[in-house]
Amino acid sequence: MTELHSDLVLDALGLLAVRLDDDLIVREVCGTFLTVPTGTDMREFMPALYGLEDALHAPDAYLTMPFVQIGNDRDEPVALTVRRDPDSGVLWLFLRDVREESEMQRQLVQNHNSLSLAQAELVKARNAAQKADQAKTAFLANVSHELRTPLHVIIGGSSILSKPRDTPLDPQEVTDYALDMHESGVLLLQLVDDLIDLSRSETGNLILYEERCDLTEITRAITALCEDIPEARHTTLQCEVPPHPVWMVADARRIKQILLNLISNAIKAVANLNGGEVTVTLDPALPSLTVADNGPGMSEEEIAIARQPFGQPRAGVRSKGTGLGLSIVDRLVTLHGGEIVFDTAPGKGLAATITFDPERSRNDSKPSQNVS
Amino acid sequence: MKTYKIVVLGDFGVGKTSLIRRYVLDEFSDEYRATLGVHLYKHADTLAGEDIEISLVVWDIEGAPLPSGQTKRYIVGASGAVIVGDMTRDDPFSAMWSAADMFEEALPGRPLCLALNKSDVAVIESPETVTRMKRRYDCNAFETSALTGDCVTPMFHDLARSILARGL
Ligand SMILES: Nc1nc2c(ncn2[C@@H]2O[C@H](COP(=O)(O)OP(=O)(O)OP(=O)(O)O)[C@@H](O)[C@H]2O)c(=O)[nH]1
Ligand SMILES: [Mg+2]
Repeated sequence: MTELHSDLVLDALGLLAVRLDDDLIVREVCGTFLTVPTGTDMREFMPALYGLEDALHAPDAYLTMPFVQIGNDRDEPVALTVRRDPDSGVLWLFLRDVREESEMQRQLVQNHNSLSLAQAELVKARNAAQKADQAKTAFLANVSHELRTPLHVIIGGSSILSKPRDTPLDPQEVTDYALDMHESGVLLLQLVDDLIDLSRSETGNLILYEERCDLTEITRAITALCEDIPEARHTTLQCEVPPHPVWMVADARRIKQILLNLISNAIKAVANLNGGEVTVTLDPALPSLTVADNGPGMSEEEIAIARQPFGQPRAGVRSKGTGLGLSIVDRLVTLHGGEIVFDTAPGKGLAATITFDPERSRNDSKPSQNVS
Repeated sequence: MKTYKIVVLGDFGVGKTSLIRRYVLDEFSDEYRATLGVHLYKHADTLAGEDIEISLVVWDIEGAPLPSGQTKRYIVGASGAVIVGDMTRDDPFSAMWSAADMFEEALPGRPLCLALNKSDVAVIESPETVTRMKRRYDCNAFETSALTGDCVTPMFHDLARSILARGL
């Protein structure tokens, strides 16, 4: 075939044949669908050859790549084949125009991959939903259990009090039943309030009524209030606040709720100790609030459990209260743009520190109505 | 100056193309456009701080959960590899192990590095696995984001340094 004829045939096939020497320099080109000047380093034109120099020296060198795209823009893909003719020892490189088939192939790959990715996303979402569902079921079981205990006390007590009896109860017994029932009623109310807070915070409906409030005053008042908690009888309760107001934009009622929760937890932790101490500190710098006790402390795992709704960090040890306090504290602190950190270890007491966004205590910061 | 071949391996959709285009072209696209075959990027760069010039051909290789026979042919002659994983997936690591094993078996003694990608939207749920991989392949891991560009260039530079250090 004459040179012109071979060019025509190769062009009709969308093919380019290039003869290379052992340094991968272009020695001869047949076909015109790409312009490759002789004498150039083929690696500059086809960078796929970088790194393959040794492999191409082999007497039976043969490699083929169906789709090769080069360059920094969306260049046209080619099929690349390099082979050494075993008889003549000559190294030939072939490029074929694969624009049309490549777009179809790429669509196939794209569809396959997109489907697989979507399916993986679905599986992931399903697993997450299942996990959430299990958590909900466990939560409901917990709620029922927590409701049942005080309800039993109320139903049992009222049935005893209301039944006609041959020998009437003595007045002390009547008072005891009434007190137990009252306590259970208070606990139930607290539980329902906590559940409402929790569910509001989950659905984004917990509203903060923000105003400028004095943390010094709040800390003092709540610490004083906690002195009346019966378990605090043998506990030294200290309140360390600066001698001046510390202003911050916050929902005062919620800050009180946070403090009340943390202080009463601390009091319960040291209730059985001789020399139990609870210290409440207000640091005006950030500002931050710390409630520290010298009780038994917790391990990292125990802390993680305690932050869950109804989490009981000590197996078999049930603390009084709704079991929701700490998870609500967590959410309220987050709503205030703050952070809570627990510094504790078994036997080392526990210090809960809440830091607030310093922006909130700037002079010109404005109260806003914040929805979670 | 020698031009080094670097291959980028991993499952599809993990962000191989995005990492390369962030490194070479400093661009990013949200849209997923699957790579077919291979896409080569030639890139000249200077290693930060050392004033060492390097020339690279970065191979963007069609992704797969398991390396195929064709993948093994693509990596012939590579001086190093970036193994990419998508940290938003349930199990980002098994495809990374397979790719790294394949590379190490085919080209023993050539360095690799790990790209823990999409760090802008994911946290690494199993840091122990990362530690194990780093020890197993004697390599570094980078929490990359092609979206923000975090750690992308440092990662390619780290690989280039390892290649130079081994005199490849
Ligand atoms: N958020 C985020 N998205 C990313 C990141 N990197 C890649 N993506 C997205 O992930 C999708 C897949 O990215 P590609 O770079 O095409 O993935 P690939 O690994 O090249 O995929 P194949 O070519 O099929 O193997 C695209 O939609 C990208 O926009 C990242 O760091 N962060
Ligand atoms: Mg790609």
